Amino acid sequence: MNDLSVHFEGVSKIYPHFTLDDVSLELPAGTIMGLIGANGAGKSTTIRILMGLVHQDRGRVLVLGREMPREQAAAKLDIGFVSEDMRLYGPATLAWHMNFVQSIYPKWDQPYAETLLRRFDLKPRQKIKGLSHGQRVKAALLLALARRPRLLVLDEPTTGLDPVARQEVLGELMAVLADEDRTILFSSHNTLDVEQISDQITFIDRGRIIASDNKEIFLDRWRRLRLVLSPEADVPSLPGVVEVGGSGRLPVLVTNRFDPAMVSACNDAGATVQAVDPMTLEEIFVANVHSRREKQIV
Amino acid sequence: MNYAMVKRLVLKDWYLQRWAILGSLVGVVATLGIIATGGKVAFLLGLILLIMVIISIGAQMAVATIVTERKEQTLPFVMSLPISYREYTASKIWGNLLIFLVPWLTMVLGSFGLLLWSPSSRGLLPYAAIMSTEILLSTCLILAVALITESQGWTVAAIMVGNLAVNGLGYIVAHIAGIAKGMWGPTIQWSGAASAVLLAEFTTIGLLLGVTFVVQAKKKDFL
Repeated sequence: MNDLSVHFEGVSKIYPHFTLDDVSLELPAGTIMGLIGANGAGKSTTIRILMGLVHQDRGRVLVLGREMPREQAAAKLDIGFVSEDMRLYGPATLAWHMNFVQSIYPKWDQPYAETLLRRFDLKPRQKIKGLSHGQRVKAALLLALARRPRLLVLDEPTTGLDPVARQEVLGELMAVLADEDRTILFSSHNTLDVEQISDQITFIDRGRIIASDNKEIFLDRWRRLRLVLSPEADVPSLPGVVEVGGSGRLPVLVTNRFDPAMVSACNDAGATVQAVDPMTLEEIFVANVHSRREKQIV
Repeated sequence: MNYAMVKRLVLKDWYLQRWAILGSLVGVVATLGIIATGGKVAFLLGLILLIMVIISIGAQMAVATIVTERKEQTLPFVMSLPISYREYTASKIWGNLLIFLVPWLTMVLGSFGLLLWSPSSRGLLPYAAIMSTEILLSTCLILAVALITESQGWTVAAIMVGNLAVNGLGYIVAHIAGIAKGMWGPTIQWSGAASAVLLAEFTTIGLLLGVTFVVQAKKKDFL
């Protein structure tokens, strides 16, 4: 358990209109995990519990070996946190914020902060209220990164950014990966962003973790099969089929356990495989969510 | 309790509110100047202005450093720092009280000095002490409500209640026999009634701040 940066064990939080239900999650050190979910799925609640800002009703949370929320002050000394709803003080300059954060974090890296200033094209003497949304996100990211945290927690940081600012932010995050000891938890409803930087993916929907695995495993195992059935054939029974679409003799199957042997299995069953399409993370996420919701209804 | 962190957060609020603090000090000194001119109208006008300035600065600080912090979403930034909510609460109480004490003490020392300097007004000193403490109590009420509710609506309600309490208590205390008797005389007559009211005020301040810490410690959601 020592090499786990984040460990959630049966964590629940009950609100009048939303429940985070029995969440168990492990984030090994050095991993970049993308937490993907629709709006209101429970991403922010999970992250707030991780940060000790919301207390779980049940379950255990360990962050960097610290029990949360009890040891949140000690844990947060090694965490950099940026969230979409986080703002800096408008009347103060970025330089003031940098000095303030530097006075708190002994590991503050001033040369790195200056490098980030140049890379993000930020002016330290500029007041925060004069910055654009993109610049404010970059400023918050700078303050989080230059403290050299062991764990970086980013809650929808790219929301509302223009494409250029988004790519700059993502680019900097990818540069941070050079540090093997750094662990990142990145939440977003934008699967493209998550796909770019994460090596571990967790899907969350309606307060429950519905899937969590290595990104490559997701991308390798999920496939869309376009079939043509012979007149007397039925849709073949294949492993891991989560969705059957298409119509009549042209069914489209989505499987989460694709194996090349499936193609010959289909041929044997009287179905010709017209195409085996790889799926994007967004398509995998949507198929995953639909499949789980349908199971819940049944 | 990480006192070094509490101190940093207090200094942060002082820095961000530095112009309001300076403005309040100028306001207090200006109203004391009006009172010092000696006329009866100037005395009453100055007194009303002084109370207004002091109450306003207490309310303004609570709104600016607590309610606005949540409203303008700077609270997530503060809470991302290595602090617990206990330290956050301590920093807000100390930060606000210390800021408030600057103009409040200026008011207390200034008004006491003026009363002692003018021999015919010395009898007002116990009443002035009670009313100054009532203003401090009113500020603590606003601070407690702002911290516990983090709501603009409830804080505004507390400001109104605090204002009414200052006026109401001012009237009631002025009619307590033990206090009213020597109020307009040339000598200070410190009665048991005056001591009891002052003790009740300080006890209430202690209770308010204690309850604030207890309620904050039991909170489960900070964002």
